[in-house]
Amino acid sequence: MMRRIYRLLPGPTSLRVTQAVILAAAALVALHLFYSWLGNAILDTGGAIG
Amino acid sequence: MTQTAADQAAVAPVATPGGRLERVLHNTGWTLVYLGVLTLGFVVHQLFITTWFAQQKQPELSAERISQWNQTEISDVVVEPATTIPGDGGTVPDGTPTTTGPPLVLKVESPPEPHAAFALIRIPKIDRLKDGWNVVEGVSVADLRNGAGHIPGTALPGQPGNSVISGHRTTWGMPFHELNILDPGDEIEVDTALGTSIYEVREIHIVKPTDLWVTDPRDGAWLTLTTCHPKYSARERYVVVAELVYGPNADVIAQMSP
Repeated sequence: MMRRIYRLLPGPTSLRVTQAVILAAAALVALHLFYSWLGNAILDTGGAIG
Repeated sequence: MTQTAADQAAVAPVATPGGRLERVLHNTGWTLVYLGVLTLGFVVHQLFITTWFAQQKQPELSAERISQWNQTEISDVVVEPATTIPGDGGTVPDGTPTTTGPPLVLKVESPPEPHAAFALIRIPKIDRLKDGWNVVEGVSVADLRNGAGHIPGTALPGQPGNSVISGHRTTWGMPFHELNILDPGDEIEVDTALGTSIYEVREIHIVKPTDLWVTDPRDGAWLTLTTCHPKYSARERYVVVAELVYGPNADVIAQMSP
């Protein structure tokens, strides 16, 4: 799937690699935010009362 | 008419029931692999990455706490000792209780800035908390990711009343992971701008997250620690209640209490 997305990126190889790195970083940040939200919702809210 | 090899090759790509099944199985398999990787990533993120973030934040919070202590104003507040009726049979004009002894002086610190680190909690019995964990003012999601959080509006540690501190159990540094190993009599130490206050565990409760009574004010000086329960679930709260036994205000508060 990742290879397929990479092939869809426009431009020469250097531009494609740059775009791929930016996309990967954005995906990691999005995943971190999603995991943080999910963990806070179901696993450990921090223990506060109320 | 006989079929040539070229004719057979042209026929092959046409979808057959067997080919469709194969494609469905292939896609289902990869979907399960992706879901598995995402789930594993979630576990690794919650157990290790959040804790790494929280631990990286501790030195910064410690510096902030020291700075906060330097800015904290400490004032002396004169309070009356507990009222008593003279026991020598002496005459009291109208029978009302009278106070005894000289006025008591309570040391009071100015309230901390919201979200700022202002205290350090240490629990000698818990390895993770032997060196202490910073306590910030507030219990928002962001506050609790930084450290344990003091619920605003409850007493400050070392002061009369009920000081309530919450902390994560299994993620974001998991400062209160092993709160369940505490027994009555175990010590909890809290450093503030006033100095070190030592509390002894008196009560342990398991309550619902909405049981606000655990934050109610109390006579004397108390520290209430709350965290999620059971581990890896936010269904209930594990609550440890400790009483002040030593500290800058301990003697004064003991004489204030009825």
